[in-house]
Amino acid sequence: MATPLIVLLYASIAALSAIPGGFVRWSAEPGRERWLGWAHALAAGGMLGAAFVLTGVSGAAAGAGAIGAALGVAFIVTTHTVTRLDTLDLSRPDRDDPSAAPRLVALHALHACTEGVAIGVAMAVDLSLGVFMAIAIAVHNVPEAALLSGATRRQGAGPAGTVGLVVLSNIGQPALAVATWFVVAAAPSALPWVLGFAVGALLNLVMTELLPASYREAGSTSIALVASVALALVVLLGGVFP
Amino acid sequence: MDVILVFTYGLITALATGLGALPFLLVRTVSGRMVGRLNAVAAGLMLGASFGLLAEGTRFGGWQTFSGGILGVLFILVTNRYLREHHAHPGSSTGKEDGLRRMVLIVTVMTVHSLAEGVAIGASFGGGMALATFITVAIAVHNIPEGVAISAVLRANGVSVPRCAGWSVVSSLPQPVMAVPAFLFVEAFAPALPYGIGFAAGAMVFMVLLEILPEAYGKGSAREIGTITTLSMIAMMLFQKMVAG
Repeated sequence: MATPLIVLLYASIAALSAIPGGFVRWSAEPGRERWLGWAHALAAGGMLGAAFVLTGVSGAAAGAGAIGAALGVAFIVTTHTVTRLDTLDLSRPDRDDPSAAPRLVALHALHACTEGVAIGVAMAVDLSLGVFMAIAIAVHNVPEAALLSGATRRQGAGPAGTVGLVVLSNIGQPALAVATWFVVAAAPSALPWVLGFAVGALLNLVMTELLPASYREAGSTSIALVASVALALVVLLGGVFP
Repeated sequence: MDVILVFTYGLITALATGLGALPFLLVRTVSGRMVGRLNAVAAGLMLGASFGLLAEGTRFGGWQTFSGGILGVLFILVTNRYLREHHAHPGSSTGKEDGLRRMVLIVTVMTVHSLAEGVAIGASFGGGMALATFITVAIAVHNIPEGVAISAVLRANGVSVPRCAGWSVVSSLPQPVMAVPAFLFVEAFAPALPYGIGFAAGAMVFMVLLEILPEAYGKGSAREIGTITTLSMIAMMLFQKMVAG
């Protein structure tokens, strides 16, 4: 199969694996928020691991990588500010705010695009690394979609509508994965920049959203355990790539 | 000679803790917001340093680094439980006589934390000078906000600034003391190196996730704290790549 098709296939699988999460209906009871926190912590640890794996690949270079990473951070900060997403409380997205659900969809789409860049650049480095990245992000997509469904279903959307929104918000993932792959394939000298961008953006998502949200939802001991074990597993599995 | 070098590096990080008392020469208290930012810088540097350790450890063996990392996590978990069971939480006590207990508590907590950091310094020497240098720098910089935290408690109870600096350094003395045996161990017993490096990385990541980050998020907006953490982490990784050439 042609490489761009493989990129498209795996990035689409990653995007579509979010669907089961769309059927989950989170309850806002205090006891149930812990599960949400652990799901966030799992996603945070996994994304930290993905960033670690990307920093270790052979194409990574110090100067271009750091500038790319700073751009990735700036991208997340800017888009969050413009869309006012930084004021959105991920733990209680439904509280008295009718704009919460559409903003959560936008936030979800933004994450999906960033993760698409990570899949695409990993594919450009090494196809098996890209598949690994797609699987890691597929796992991470499930709790993210569950979070989205919690908000949209309380706004009155049915399961079909919610799953539709989940798919819609994830379209950016395969699109950007393929686009990123083409950019790096056409201009290999862009690789360290794109790698840096993906690392900076992933890290900033973890630090400004996933982790702070998870600490609000569950105790710091369980959050730290889940996140560090998830990180350790991704580092261990990622170690098989040169 | 090597032992003296390892001890000196450990001592530098310990002395850096004393720098945390310096702001109190100028001001009576440091704002909570500033402490949060300092903690965010420390968290980013330590995470960046842990990534460097993990990269080095997995070169010697993935499973060994993984096992060492889990041991590091358990070490911090157990020591933290022990400290919590044997002392009340520092924030929960009130009244004058509790001032002394709070001071003893924070110095004790920080001293126990320093054990794992000492192991990190010692084990990193097994991976070469470049690794040892950036781990030492990361831990030294991380120690400064720890010194601020200790000094803030002591100063509030009327302890003089030089004594604040002294107690801050004391709390980090396990670093040079633990660095030497950790270094000798990985030197004499080479297969232990990835375990030692994994232990150090696991302990640092877990300490950041368990205490430093939640505390920092409590003192500022998630965006501010998170972005400072990310940028510090990137700076640390850049520094490592430059030192490693």
